[in-house]
Amino acid sequence: LMQTTSEEVEAASATVQVRIFRFVPGEDAQPRYESYEVPWAPRMRILDALEWVNEELGAGVAYRWYCGVKKCGLCAVTMNGKPVLACWQAAEREMTIEPLAGLPLIRDLVVDRSDYEERVRRLMPYLVRDGGYEGFPEKLSDTDMRPTEALRDCIQCLVCYAACPVIAVGDRGFVGPAALVKVAESALDPRDGGKRGKLLEREGEISKCVWCYSCQEACPCEIPIVWAAIEPLRRLAAKEAEGVEARRVRSFVRLVTGVGKVVPGLLVVLALGVRRAVSEWWRALVYMLPRGKLAAGAVLRAGVKLWVRGGRPGRARGGCDKV
Amino acid sequence: VTRVETAEADVLVIGGGAAGVWAALKAQEEGARVTMIVKGVLGKSGCSIFASHLPWYDETTEEKKKARLTYAIRYYNHYLTDQHYVIRLGQFVRERFFGELERLGVYWRRDDAGNIVVSKSLVPVCVAHKQGSSGLVIMERLRQEVLRRGIPVMEETCATGLLVEDGTCRGAVAVRLRDGAAVVVTSKAVVLATGHADYLSLRSTGTREQSADGISMAMRAGCELVNMEICWFHATDVSYPRAWMRLHVYPNPLVGTEETSRMYNSAGEVFFEQKRDAPGSSAPYVQQMRRLALQVERGLARWDGGYYSGYTHIDPEVLRAYQHQIGVWNKLGLDVTRDLLECAITWHMRQGGIHLDTRTMMAVGVEGLYVAGGLGGHYLGGLGPATYDGWVAGTMAAEYARRAKKAGATQIGEGELAKREIMRVTGLLQKVGTERPYWPALVKREIRRVMWEEMGFVKSETSIRRASERLGRIRQEMVPRMGLRYLGDRWNFEWVEALDVLSMLDACEATVCGALERKESRGPFYRSDFPYVDNENWLVKLIQDWREGRPSFRKEYYETPFLKPEREREGYFDADY
Repeated sequence: LMQTTSEEVEAASATVQVRIFRFVPGEDAQPRYESYEVPWAPRMRILDALEWVNEELGAGVAYRWYCGVKKCGLCAVTMNGKPVLACWQAAEREMTIEPLAGLPLIRDLVVDRSDYEERVRRLMPYLVRDGGYEGFPEKLSDTDMRPTEALRDCIQCLVCYAACPVIAVGDRGFVGPAALVKVAESALDPRDGGKRGKLLEREGEISKCVWCYSCQEACPCEIPIVWAAIEPLRRLAAKEAEGVEARRVRSFVRLVTGVGKVVPGLLVVLALGVRRAVSEWWRALVYMLPRGKLAAGAVLRAGVKLWVRGGRPGRARGGCDKV
Repeated sequence: VTRVETAEADVLVIGGGAAGVWAALKAQEEGARVTMIVKGVLGKSGCSIFASHLPWYDETTEEKKKARLTYAIRYYNHYLTDQHYVIRLGQFVRERFFGELERLGVYWRRDDAGNIVVSKSLVPVCVAHKQGSSGLVIMERLRQEVLRRGIPVMEETCATGLLVEDGTCRGAVAVRLRDGAAVVVTSKAVVLATGHADYLSLRSTGTREQSADGISMAMRAGCELVNMEICWFHATDVSYPRAWMRLHVYPNPLVGTEETSRMYNSAGEVFFEQKRDAPGSSAPYVQQMRRLALQVERGLARWDGGYYSGYTHIDPEVLRAYQHQIGVWNKLGLDVTRDLLECAITWHMRQGGIHLDTRTMMAVGVEGLYVAGGLGGHYLGGLGPATYDGWVAGTMAAEYARRAKKAGATQIGEGELAKREIMRVTGLLQKVGTERPYWPALVKREIRRVMWEEMGFVKSETSIRRASERLGRIRQEMVPRMGLRYLGDRWNFEWVEALDVLSMLDACEATVCGALERKESRGPFYRSDFPYVDNENWLVKLIQDWREGRPSFRKEYYETPFLKPEREREGYFDADY
């Protein structure tokens, strides 16, 4: 129960090599890395090493942290190429510490979260009580609140944001997983009456999520981000959304339920309309190419079937495995 | 040459925890234009996010009512509080606190049938989401509410001094970390709410930005301090990793069960369990410290480790459902149902603080200045009291601002006062001489070392005098040679740390002076040369006045209209409060 860990035995003589990214934009010509040797301590965190560098060596590295225990969510950095929380992640014997990716740099390891915060704010990350509040305690059970249980652990540390490949390729249209978790906490709350469906696409471009689960794997709070936040929000967005992408999603659903499979040519026509399919031929191509099908015959056949059935949903044939 | 920016408001709120947020929300509701200054990040820094659980106000029977009152007055405040305030506070928390937060979306944890989940203890507690994350989810909702209402918030902006002229507070000067600008906010009224859990000792629950700025600003503005010497310790905080010293193996009642955690000495013997050893106190830190002191004396524990705590005897299903803290075990590769965590003590929150008048509601003797939450010396603190104080202070400040506007109060703008403060602050932005200067981070560490070594749980006149001398040397020898490595204006945290040094010294000196003056032991305050609780002479506010540059003391007796201690005097280790 209380044995000494092998770590402690090793600790006495060991050291940690830390390479830290130093850069003052606008003052320094280019970034540099400074190396420091820090004595190893049992169960040491990255933050412990950073603190030692500043307190004992007076290095004056600029980094942000407040609580030290996975509550404030403000100490995220990149360690050996991976986004992590400095207070929570174990130190490694050799560490290169860089600022969190995907956000503008202020200095050294400090990033600028303000644009991100502004975008979250536009997605209404608060409870919208349509029917007013009946007074404490309101009628509510733990079963009602289960959809948001995991989401309540989110501390907005942006580790998932930095792990997201869509953000990494420089697409700033997509608001990123962290914001969606925050919005989902209210949007999926049974007490909430907010209308966020259109916002999610317009302000968050939620359809750009590529379902790669990188966010979910990186989350230090172990939140199933895709399952608990993004999937349900996308359903919500698809229901209320507008614009080409949303029409594509809805057409997709109509095809699957009406025809039993996705017919690329028909998808183009339904989502874009004939005129737009011609004028935005590149978009039409993108919709079709991934499946490698451009069969006019298939489009026609499916079109006839759809017309015969009147596009009524719930008559799927063949099931989802074909999609 | 520092860039200076000015802003104007009716009410300026300094502090971004529960007290500050509620002050801002209420002042705005009263029609005031509000601006907030937060040293860290609104709702994310400070100690409000650490709130684990809240006392559940079940007052259906006289017995339960009495148990709660006894807890608040005897065990939580050791009789050092205005009992009328405690009654008003209880009423507010019961009638408004839970509902106001629920309205904003805070989920008070229920079971599947819809009943609020509480601990099965004499004074029950409840949680928002989970035990250990209540503060987090509450502060997140409050943050959203402030932003939704469009209240301007200057984050990562460190207030350095209040603008006080002719005994009236007219605003504050602050430094913005991001770009190094000095910000002068002029206002009709100011609410100071910077908290009570400062990082003043090597091992502390206080977070990075908490360096007693509020205490220092108020002292310089001419406010009195009270009971500064009484500081709480935590006995079951994680011993290592070091960053996690702020994590707690809760000794308090655990929701969903009648069990509580246990403390084990190095021989594996249980030496403390709240349910068994302090059933009336749902915050049993003082009793834990007394029991730990006995183990330290027997050589079966050290103040900095060598003893353990855990939940191994408790139903794992209950832990998984309601305990946020099991994440700590998981992250370390331990099993909460089998493994114990090594613990060590930390310097926790300050019971004392700024002397305010609980009858005239949050007034501190400086016109237009109000204090709310843990920064005040009127009550130990917590999310409930912080909310109540903020609510009252925000309302009072808005009312004061309205009157001041009507009377046509003059603005001081970028007057002499602000200029002088900016000069003081920018004076620290310098590299010193040829000799090796002291970096601010090192000086802070040295202050913390003094407090850890000389002002720990066991104190005596000798150790307190030593602390005083060592702090004096830091002020005389290290501070004048303090210098920064980086002199630019981009996120210059070193600069803020140089300011921290000055604030920390002010607060630590006041703590040391108070400790020397109080000749008894009480609550978490233990002097081995006065090892008894002395209700005859020391059931008092010990008030310090620093207007002459050194403290002059006076005592004011507490009234005990509802509860009074049974004995005039009893041995410190015999008392249970």
